[in-house]
Amino acid sequence: MPKTGIFIAAVVAALAVAGAATAKPSDTVIQGAGSTFVAPLVAQWVSPLGSAYGYSLQYSGIGSGGGVSAVTARTVDFGASDAPLTADQFSACKGCVQIPWALSATAVLYNLPGVKNLLHMDGPTLAKIFMGQITSWNDPAIKKLNKGVALPDTKIAIAHRSDNSGTTYNFTDYLSAVSPAWKSQLGKGVAVNWPVGTGGRGSSGVAAIVSQTPGAIGYADVAYSLANHLKFFAMKNRAGKFATPGLKGILGAASSDVKPDPKTNELSIVNPPTKFKLAYPISTYTYVIVPTSSPKAAELRKFLFWAVTKGQSYGPKLLFQPIPRPVLVVAEKTITKIKG
Amino acid sequence: MALHGITRADMAAVNLPRRKAVNRLMEGLTWLAAIVGVALLVIIVWSVARRAWGALNLDLFTKDQVLFAIGPVHQGLRNAFVGSLVLVGLATAMALPVGILIAIYLTEYARPWIRSSVSLVLDVLNGIPAIVVAIFVFGLFVVGHGQSGYAGAFALACLMLPLVARSVMEVLLLVPSSLREASLGLGVPRWRTVLAIVLPQAMGGIITGAVLAIARIAGETAPLLFTSSIVGTQISWDASHALQSIPVAIFELSESPDPADHSRAWAGAFVLLMFILLLSLSARWLAARSRRRISTSR
Amino acid sequence: MSAADFSTDVSAAPLGGRRIRLGDLLLQLVAGLAALASVVLVGLIVWKVIAGAWPSIDTFGLSFVWHIAWNPVLGHELYGAGSFLFGTAITSLLALALAAPLAIGIALYLTELSPRFLRGPVTALVETLAAIPSVVMGLWGILVLGPLLHDHVEPALHSALGFIPLFGEPSPSGSSIFTAVIVLAIMILPIVASITRELFLGVPRELREGALAMGTTRWEMIQGVVFPYARGGIAAALILGLGRAIGEAIAVTQVIGGGVFIHWSLFSTGDTLASKIAASYQGATTKIQVASLIYLGLILLVFSLLMNVAAQWIVRRVARRQGVGTNRGGLG
Repeated sequence: MPKTGIFIAAVVAALAVAGAATAKPSDTVIQGAGSTFVAPLVAQWVSPLGSAYGYSLQYSGIGSGGGVSAVTARTVDFGASDAPLTADQFSACKGCVQIPWALSATAVLYNLPGVKNLLHMDGPTLAKIFMGQITSWNDPAIKKLNKGVALPDTKIAIAHRSDNSGTTYNFTDYLSAVSPAWKSQLGKGVAVNWPVGTGGRGSSGVAAIVSQTPGAIGYADVAYSLANHLKFFAMKNRAGKFATPGLKGILGAASSDVKPDPKTNELSIVNPPTKFKLAYPISTYTYVIVPTSSPKAAELRKFLFWAVTKGQSYGPKLLFQPIPRPVLVVAEKTITKIKG
Repeated sequence: MALHGITRADMAAVNLPRRKAVNRLMEGLTWLAAIVGVALLVIIVWSVARRAWGALNLDLFTKDQVLFAIGPVHQGLRNAFVGSLVLVGLATAMALPVGILIAIYLTEYARPWIRSSVSLVLDVLNGIPAIVVAIFVFGLFVVGHGQSGYAGAFALACLMLPLVARSVMEVLLLVPSSLREASLGLGVPRWRTVLAIVLPQAMGGIITGAVLAIARIAGETAPLLFTSSIVGTQISWDASHALQSIPVAIFELSESPDPADHSRAWAGAFVLLMFILLLSLSARWLAARSRRRISTSR
Repeated sequence: MSAADFSTDVSAAPLGGRRIRLGDLLLQLVAGLAALASVVLVGLIVWKVIAGAWPSIDTFGLSFVWHIAWNPVLGHELYGAGSFLFGTAITSLLALALAAPLAIGIALYLTELSPRFLRGPVTALVETLAAIPSVVMGLWGILVLGPLLHDHVEPALHSALGFIPLFGEPSPSGSSIFTAVIVLAIMILPIVASITRELFLGVPRELREGALAMGTTRWEMIQGVVFPYARGGIAAALILGLGRAIGEAIAVTQVIGGGVFIHWSLFSTGDTLASKIAASYQGATTKIQVASLIYLGLILLVFSLLMNVAAQWIVRRVARRQGVGTNRGGLG
């Protein structure tokens, strides 16, 4: 009966696909997940890693929080987070190390057709905007910072992260440092109780909302503003200068802390002191979280050594500043702790 | 004739012009509803087709995704198409045999109370939201082991199972009992009757049911969201690691700021839609054919 | 009389005595195991969801269900389902309110008004609407419907009806509860329409023609005969449509904007139980946050099951009353 034939053929085909699916590839797969902040840089590493060692790097930007959870649950080989692990997260991760492997900045993006790029902004005003207290682009506070610029009376549409994000941690860390009101009402974290705004998933989601909504303001890794031709602010640092999130600004901020914490390797370079005149105040390191005992220890060591040395050369065109030497030394020492 | 003592003449006398007007209004609204219903479908499919047009090229099927491409790069959705093929194939391989066995048990062996209880359980399974199935499979297979194509396929299979079981059951019940009687009366053992006589007779309906179930899960995103979403961009047939799929790819691309990503999302959506429509139409055609066969063979 | 009833009859016949064949035993065993596996699967799902939610149930108790809070800041963690329950209720009920008249209208059209040659094609077209995957509906919602509503519909509604709190300030982007309602309405329309259509087809011809012969207009006949007869079934169809709407995670999370607080304006952002899980589960950090998200899933599961059971019960009651056997395991 021909119909039974078709049926059997279909089942056989399904089983054949299933069989092919169980065939092992020749590449070693290294799976990681987490920060969307570092995702553009990691994406550049996939192909050279494949050529250098034959590794197939699979990375998914699910947010720093997701990366920490995933590596804790050992559903991935490594996690990536811009927010440093807390003591609780370290103990939950059971023998994980935290290694700073990239350095960049969070740009504050805006969409104002007809208005120039690099408008001036300062911390307290930014906090008021994101708390919903300043609602219009031609508010006096914004006009004061940008004398001579014609600002429209468009409503400010806020875009923030809906997922647990290290970029949110960096942004709210900065806002808590410059605004006592923000610190007491909202605080800093991978997610906060945003009083207003639309939530986007991942840095792409925020960039998407900003690029599609005239009058929008949002925050994302500066690499996303480049890729999508979005405008961003020059932020007033403690020295009173309006700094941009370029390599100079990031390096200026990084100079303020080159000693990773001896226990956790974390570094804080947000809102650096006055003497760092060129510093962009919302810069941050981003970390890779790896279990010290992993079935892929040898591959991970090779991958991470490559990432913190050769991998850094892929950074500058995406506005990732290569990590400074003192930090590199600590990073390499920590990588050797990954055994099998 | 009269109803409750009211004659036709009485009815006609009562306010006929107004009643006729109300009737015309309602008929108009009903026509409007139908037009809106059809228009919605046409608008959506047309939207997808129009926006997919620019990105429907050979690259879509021959090149893999490239994330965060700097400058214009030739890319496509090949890794997602392949991944979807593997996931749907595995899910079908998992759900189809089990579904058929359940249907056989319920129609040939089960006592009435068992049949109604298991049917109820299958209906419950059918009503569980896909996102809850995703949480379940995540907790069962992904925690501690990592995502994999198998976990994703299993989640899809959980959604397929009640559809397959129910449709095969309906078809088996349509097979005339006289056929079973005759076979058993000739001394053919029950198991052979079921497998060699009843099942082939129901084959058209079984295929229809399977095709419809495949059409249903081919576009499912939620079950794959936590089980097979941390993927690389290279083409892969290996289900022991997570595989990219078209629905998840569309989901991710839809939230991107890049218009080129949107075009690819539309293209993927168009291909997915055409695939599902093709399956549904084939199922409909197969069903009509087997209905004609059964009615002529009676 | 099922096929199973033949076993005792026939095997007692010609070959004499009941011979237990290995093949029969095997098939019955394997098939029975498959059936058992499906029961075990459902039990496992329910158990795992409750077990996963337990840390949150233990910490927050039953009041989690209506408590309006979702504060993930470490040190101040507090979770509650209130705003998502509200979001689910408002999006699903409004979607049903939009879809139901349309669906009933389409069903009436297909059973009463349409010319015979149009019946097949229109039915097929409406059912094809159901075949559109949720992620494609969400894509269309983000890139086509959202901007359309944002640019044209919301300002118009706000200026015309802005005194009603429902129609507050237009949303800053195209993502809002309003967009989610429209998308959901389109998604549940075909289900309600196709079930209702089958119900209307089941209304006995004598009843309909009798009323028409009495001189009633077609609409009066529909009001007087079709609706009362199909009333129970329509209720079941509506409940099934509602069940579909509350479980929809993907399309809703793409267009609803991820808001945490309750606003009365339809144009504000929000979140539903299902869409919150889809958005936040993978990135959940602490154990209590994961458990709270699973708790949301548990609430969703309970509601879906209740609706499923309610719809089935109505169907059975209606079938019994009408004396019609439904050999389908369920509707739709």
